[in-house]
Amino acid sequence: MRHCISLIILFLMISAGVTPIHSQAAGTQQALEKYSSVQQAAPANAGSLPVQSSEKTGVTENDPYADEQNLDYDDDPFAEARVTIADPIEPLNRISYLVNDRLYYWAIKPAASVYKWIIPEPARISVKRFYLNAKFPIRFINCLLQADLSGAGIEFGRFTINTIWGIGGLLDPAAGGEIKLAEQDTDFGQTLGMYGVGHGFYIMWPVLGPSSPRDSVDIAGEYFLDPLSYIGPWYTGIGIRPFKIINNASLVIGEYESLQAAALDPYVAIRDAYAQYRAKAIKARKARSLIFKDDGAGDSPDSPSTVKE
Amino acid sequence: MIKKITIFSLLMMLILCVPVYAGAPMTTVESTVNKVLDVLRDPKLKDPSAKKAKAEKLRVIYKEMFDEIEFSKRTLQRNWTKFTPDQRKEFVGLFEQVLEKAYLDKILEYSNEKIVFHKETMAADDKAEIQSKIVTSSKEIPIYYRMILKDGKWKVYDVVVENVSLVQNYRTQFSDILASGTPEKLLESLRKKVNTQ
Repeated sequence: MRHCISLIILFLMISAGVTPIHSQAAGTQQALEKYSSVQQAAPANAGSLPVQSSEKTGVTENDPYADEQNLDYDDDPFAEARVTIADPIEPLNRISYLVNDRLYYWAIKPAASVYKWIIPEPARISVKRFYLNAKFPIRFINCLLQADLSGAGIEFGRFTINTIWGIGGLLDPAAGGEIKLAEQDTDFGQTLGMYGVGHGFYIMWPVLGPSSPRDSVDIAGEYFLDPLSYIGPWYTGIGIRPFKIINNASLVIGEYESLQAAALDPYVAIRDAYAQYRAKAIKARKARSLIFKDDGAGDSPDSPSTVKE
Repeated sequence: MIKKITIFSLLMMLILCVPVYAGAPMTTVESTVNKVLDVLRDPKLKDPSAKKAKAEKLRVIYKEMFDEIEFSKRTLQRNWTKFTPDQRKEFVGLFEQVLEKAYLDKILEYSNEKIVFHKETMAADDKAEIQSKIVTSSKEIPIYYRMILKDGKWKVYDVVVENVSLVQNYRTQFSDILASGTPEKLLESLRKKVNTQ
């Protein structure tokens, strides 16, 4: 009998050591695949968790700066496939980056600062909303192309509500109160990305900023689908667009500066942020799509240009 | 004898369970952020001349929040081994200063935006992600904290702002520099950055 009890207790002990792994295997969602492969690769790491961790802390207490075995950190359950973007035309890109940098400090920022000083914030937000509302066709068509019917419905509802009750889009009643229809962040580059088209390589466009051959289709798409292109003669568009840039810049003055303050090489920092941001945007859209589901291969949608380091 | 074993194993079980219940990561971040907000809203520190005192108070709080060595190792990855122990120490110190100087002003600019913590994902026993967002008048900025459990404490090892992971962003920058240069060159550019900030 006593042996029985001690056996049960031993069993409990063992299972206490093991259960967290079971529960985490059952509990985790996307990270599951990567994590379990790590478990197989290094069972000692996960299996005898408590002992291991106490050993580990012993080491870290002695010298946290010491060498470590696992410096790839592929055990990190949150680490997405590491996204990078090829940059074969870096010298050219760096020139346009400098051009944009000068443009920002010499033209856009001073103009936006004065504008910000004159126009109160709510008015500037309304102007931004007006332009966003006008770009409804782009978002609507892309929702359809991405097989995201609810997104298309939301966009259609937003456009109707905001155009009629939001005074042509100056206000955003659709997002607030009980309606709660959030704007769908979509564009043609994303749609192509979901179809499996890769970035290709990194392009820093003068004035327009970070892009790639794939995402550059939006420049054309925006021209033809943005209603602003059809207002009056062609030169009114040229007059309206810089105003849009300055209005939107007035709402984010200081963001570029803090990015520069934090980065060792702002050019590389922006390139990486762009690659990460696009990859995750496409992943988020895939989750909403009826057809283009993530295949769970772990690779990001921008496969040709993504490298798992 | 058997009784001793029983008691011993029961005790062991209790001890082994402790790390799992070391405190929910969400409450850790939330209480730290609230402490930061308390300092920022402190009417006694409203005066611009109190900026230094404010920064000093904040430093104590976020030192507790972040695991700067984990942060550094994850940005350097295998390059960590190319650094001598002295260089590693210097790197961690410099990197911390760069981050502090870059983000402190941003934090001090805070003017009553709403901060909402809305989701906690436990991906492993010692890894969690806390999702929060800053709600401003014109937009929402999602900020995710990735946390690791070490010595019974949850510490932040990566911050993801608007879907961009800070660790990965610095990793790309550092490996770009280290691809053509030595650790000394990276340290030199960090020193330069700290001095010019």
